[in-house]
This record gives sequence, structure tokens and C-alpha cells, in this order.
Amino acid sequence: MSSAAEQSSPRATWAGMALVSPALLVIVVFFLGPLLASVVSSFQTKAGAWTLANFDKSFELYSGDVWYTAVIVLVSTLVVGLMSVAIGGYLTLGTNPRAQGVLRWLYRWPLFIPFIVAGQVMRTFLAKNGLLNQLLIGSGILEPLAAQSYLDWRGIVLAFVWKQTPFVALMVAGAMAAIESDHIEAARNLGAGRLRILFEIIIPQIRRTLMVGLVLSYVTMLSVLSVPMMINPNSPTMMTVDVAYRINAHGDYGVANALCLISLLLASVGAWFYLRHGVARKGVQ
Amino acid sequence: MKTLIKVVAFALCAIAWGAQAQVTLNVVSAGDQNMVDYVTNYLGPKFEQLNPGVKVRAVGTGPGDSGSQKIYEKLSAQSKANVKEWDIDVAVVHQRGAATMVKESLLSPYRNQVAAGKLTSRETATNALGQNVDGYVIPMFHSQIALAYVPDLVKTPPKTFSELTAWTKANPKQFGYNGVKGGMSGVGFVMGWVAADGANMEKLEKGPYDASQKAPIDKAMADLKEFNKNVVLTPGNAGTLDMLNRGEIAMGPVWVDMFYTWQADGRLNPKIKLTLLSPGLPGQPMYYVVPKNAAHAELAKKFIDLAASPEVQADGIVKQFNWYPGIDPQYVQAKLDPASWNRLFTDISPGDLSKYGRPFPLSEYFTDILEAYERVVSK
Repeated sequence: MSSAAEQSSPRATWAGMALVSPALLVIVVFFLGPLLASVVSSFQTKAGAWTLANFDKSFELYSGDVWYTAVIVLVSTLVVGLMSVAIGGYLTLGTNPRAQGVLRWLYRWPLFIPFIVAGQVMRTFLAKNGLLNQLLIGSGILEPLAAQSYLDWRGIVLAFVWKQTPFVALMVAGAMAAIESDHIEAARNLGAGRLRILFEIIIPQIRRTLMVGLVLSYVTMLSVLSVPMMINPNSPTMMTVDVAYRINAHGDYGVANALCLISLLLASVGAWFYLRHGVARKGVQ
Repeated sequence: MKTLIKVVAFALCAIAWGAQAQVTLNVVSAGDQNMVDYVTNYLGPKFEQLNPGVKVRAVGTGPGDSGSQKIYEKLSAQSKANVKEWDIDVAVVHQRGAATMVKESLLSPYRNQVAAGKLTSRETATNALGQNVDGYVIPMFHSQIALAYVPDLVKTPPKTFSELTAWTKANPKQFGYNGVKGGMSGVGFVMGWVAADGANMEKLEKGPYDASQKAPIDKAMADLKEFNKNVVLTPGNAGTLDMLNRGEIAMGPVWVDMFYTWQADGRLNPKIKLTLLSPGLPGQPMYYVVPKNAAHAELAKKFIDLAASPEVQADGIVKQFNWYPGIDPQYVQAKLDPASWNRLFTDISPGDLSKYGRPFPLSEYFTDILEAYERVVSK
């Protein structure tokens, strides 16, 4: 493919276009079209006149939720990053094969659990008299009167981290396994400890994979409705709940689309990182 | 090969014949899963038995007003596209949905063409949140929001909203409701709060719409914000019941039918009881409606006639699903054994129900109150 530019004749170009067109058509009809309609409607009143009122209302009622969403998603992304590096690191550098085996077997499970189920599980697990507190009280770690519900931002972050860590860890662990072991051996021979090897030899080599995984997680978490709906649909809550509420309770697509556009701006931060660091260097190795 | 062709041809004929003999009646229902269960497990089989060759297909569109909104959007789209035969034959919708559909003439005025249509008596059969729906709807059932409480923790349950406020001050974080985004029991509580706290209840319920009510609504919301400091916000209608059951809260607003059903299923502590607050908490009916261009309109009317008959209202609506009847209770009570009838009124007497069971405010006020909640309380 290195000399593709030289080889392309008009005929080959047409054939190429024909091959791409079904995919392109799907994107235009089912993605770009609705996206455009959504953007346009966020600047329109119900009657169709141009207005900024939808954004005024979005900021008046939901500016707190925009921040809340951004903070939750960023914190979750950060924790997912730390956890997946820790898991990948142990799978690569750990010394106890049995512990590694158990970890390798265990960590992927949440991947196969849908978000809504994760939300439902957390709802009973993290409630004030839920399983977690019962365990803590039963084992004497927590005083019954000090028990509190975690069904607020902490519950959402926990559900996101639990659900997204395996996804990033899977990518990271794969990339770590692909690093030539000579690098690690050499560092070890020169007396580097395991932490130092992880941070100075391994992470620099897999940072692009890590970033792509985190960006994808960030965008996914931004769009999840079920988890905040199950854990904390009250105020403050995540923007997805507000979007659903504007449509369901008010039939108000204008403000809902304005909120979607704001959410899209948040997501585009992730896209910018992805394009700059991921695709620019030909994606994940 | 020939045999194979014969077999395939025979199979195709059989399928075609089967398809011809079967008429499918599409019953699309908003509301919780129990609404779909009601049609799938109870009403559908009954109707199929009486009408051989008819198959009832029940579809649920989800809880709350959003479920009705989806039905409205579908009908509206079919109407705008000039589709001749609409594929929803019977819809079960909330008051707001029915009001919008009547206003945009998406429904058929069928009530006087069915025998059971003469058995309705409550005001909700003619008026849905200020919109005249006379002739277009028959209530399937009425449901009511009430305060559930744990008698061991609440010796004397509050009788008014101000008593409730005083109670929450003395027992912080022991009262829970689900805000306005987590289901209608929370919304209903907020509506009740506004009517109790300075707004003109008469005007909110009967109209006409008067924007000057916004000031008392905002004031009520400021008080509600204070009130919220001592209460817990729960995740949804079921969330309130769950928290009551786990002993995390001692009191909270719930739907009466959900409450009784959960108790009957053993999912809720049988000791928990219900009460109503003065001046009232809202309740609402679900309506049977027939879309204007329903493909099987005649069959749809027959279906609703069965569904609204005193026998089905007694056995299905009251006895099995713990809803208050949709038609005049006197016809229903006659068909029920006293024990089943009384179970419905164990905690809340018929007298209290008619006094403190209020309709929801008019659509415009409803929207004003929800927006005020977000503007004042949630911020």
C-alpha cells in the first residue's frame, strides 16, 4: 500500500468509492443527518424560529449538572487509568503465578455485564442498609449509626470504574505483553525495582494504547443513562438524565438537544486527544 | 426434490392460511411492567377465548408520562404521514398523553359506542388535566399516591403537610421521596406540596390557567427546598419502597397499587401502612383510548367493552392488580366478595379517598411546578 497514490487510476478510484459508499451512506443517513437535525433544533423554538432560549434554559437549570457530569467522568477516567495500569502491571511483572492467574481470570468479568445491570447491582450494594454496609458492620469495621448511603456521585463513579476498568485493562495488558521482554530484563539486570520498571520502561511504551482506552471510556461514560438513572436521578445528576427528563416529562426537544450539544462539546475534548495522539500516529500499535 | 417442494408448498399454504385466520389486535400500553402483564396474562387470554381467531399482542412503552409520549409520537407521525390504517388498535395512556392526543384529534370518540361507556362516573372520564376528553376515554383504573409509613417508627402518622414538616425536623433523613425526575410518586408529592403551601388548589385543578400563580408556586418551592434539607431523595418509585423495606427511611410517598402488589408478593414488610395527607395527594387514571384510524377499530371497541365491564373490573383490576376501579365503584363492588373489596380500603377509607385523593394540576401548572422545582429546589 506504500505506493497507493502512484497506482490509483480513475477506475480504481471509482471502484474504491463504490466500496466505501455503503458505509459512507450509513454514516450520512444515520449519523450525520440526525446530528445536524439535533444541532439545528437546539437553536429553534417549537414553532421553528431561531433562538438561543434553549441554551439559556440549559444553563439556568442545568449548569450544575454539566459540571457534575464533567467532574464525575474525569474522576472516573483517572481512576480507571490507575486501576488498569495496576492490573496490567501486575499481570506483566508479578512474581506469583497463581495470583496472576486468578487476577487474569477475574478482572474481565465486568466487561460482560451491561451498564444497567451494574447500576442495579450497585443500587442494592451501596444503599445505606445495603450489602456493603452490612458487611462492614458485621465485621466490626463500621458503627451501625455511622452507616451512610453511597448512592450519590460516589456510587456513579464506583459503577463506572467497575465497568470500564476491565475494558482499558484488557487493552493495556495486551500492549504490555507485547513489549519485548529484553527491555524489562535489561532494566532488571541493572537493578531497577518493579515500580521503576513499570513507570519508566513499560508505561512510556504503552501510553498511546492507554490513552486511546481512556478516551473511549471517557466518551462511553459521558453517554451512559442507565447508571445515573438507577443510582442518583435527583439533583445534581448527570446530563443524560436531564436530556431524558426534558423529552419524557416535557416533550421539549429544544432544550434536550441543547444539552446534547453541550455534552458533545465535552466529548469532543476526548476526540481531540484521540485524533492528536491516537490516529496521528497510526492508532494503537 | 419433488417431495421437498411439496412439503415447502404445503408449509407455505399452512402459514398463509394461519395468517388469514388470525387477526392481531395491538394493545399498546404506557406504564410500568404490571400494565403489560395485565394485558398479556389476564385480559388478552380472556379476550382471545371469547373471540376465536383473534390474537392480542401487548406492547409496553415504559413508565410515566414518557410512555404516553412515545405512543403520542407514533400516532402523530402516522397522522402526519397520512397513513390510512394506524397500527395501534387500543392504547392505554396517562392523562397528559390523552389530553394532547384529543387536542390534536388523534383519537376516536368511541365511548358512547360501547356498553361499558355508560358506567363511568368520576370527573376524570370527561376531564383530563383541564382538557375536555368527554367521549374519547374510558378509565381503566384509578391509582392514588399515598404516604407509606412504618408504624413501629411512626406512632402517629402526620395528617397534614405542616405536621409532616414538623415530623421531618424532629426525625431528619427519615422521610424519603423521589424528586421530580425519578417517577410520578415524587412528582405527585411535589404537586400536593404546592397545593398545601399557598397556591390556589381550586385554580390548579380546575383552571383557567393564570400565570399569576407562579409567585405562590415559587414560594412553595422555596419552602420545599428547606424541607428537603431534612429528607432523603430516593432513586425512583420502587426506590422509595425499597428504602422503606430496608428500614432506611420511615416514611415516603408511594403508589397505592404498587404498594399493595408488593405486599401481596411478599416483597414489602407487611407491617407498613398507608395514609393520606390533607389537603390531598394526587392520583390519576389510565385511559383506554382508540386511535382515530385504528386498523381494527371495531375489535378494539369490543376489547375495551370487555375490559371496562364490571366483572373484569372486579376480578382483574381490583382483586388481582389492586387498582381502584376505573368505572363507577358501585357496579364493581356488587361483583366482588366483601373481603377483596375491603382489602383495597384497609388503610385508606373510601371517605378519605374521595376527600384527599385529588387530581393532578392542569398541564400548564404542572409544567410551571416542575420547572419551578428545578429552578428553585434543585439549584
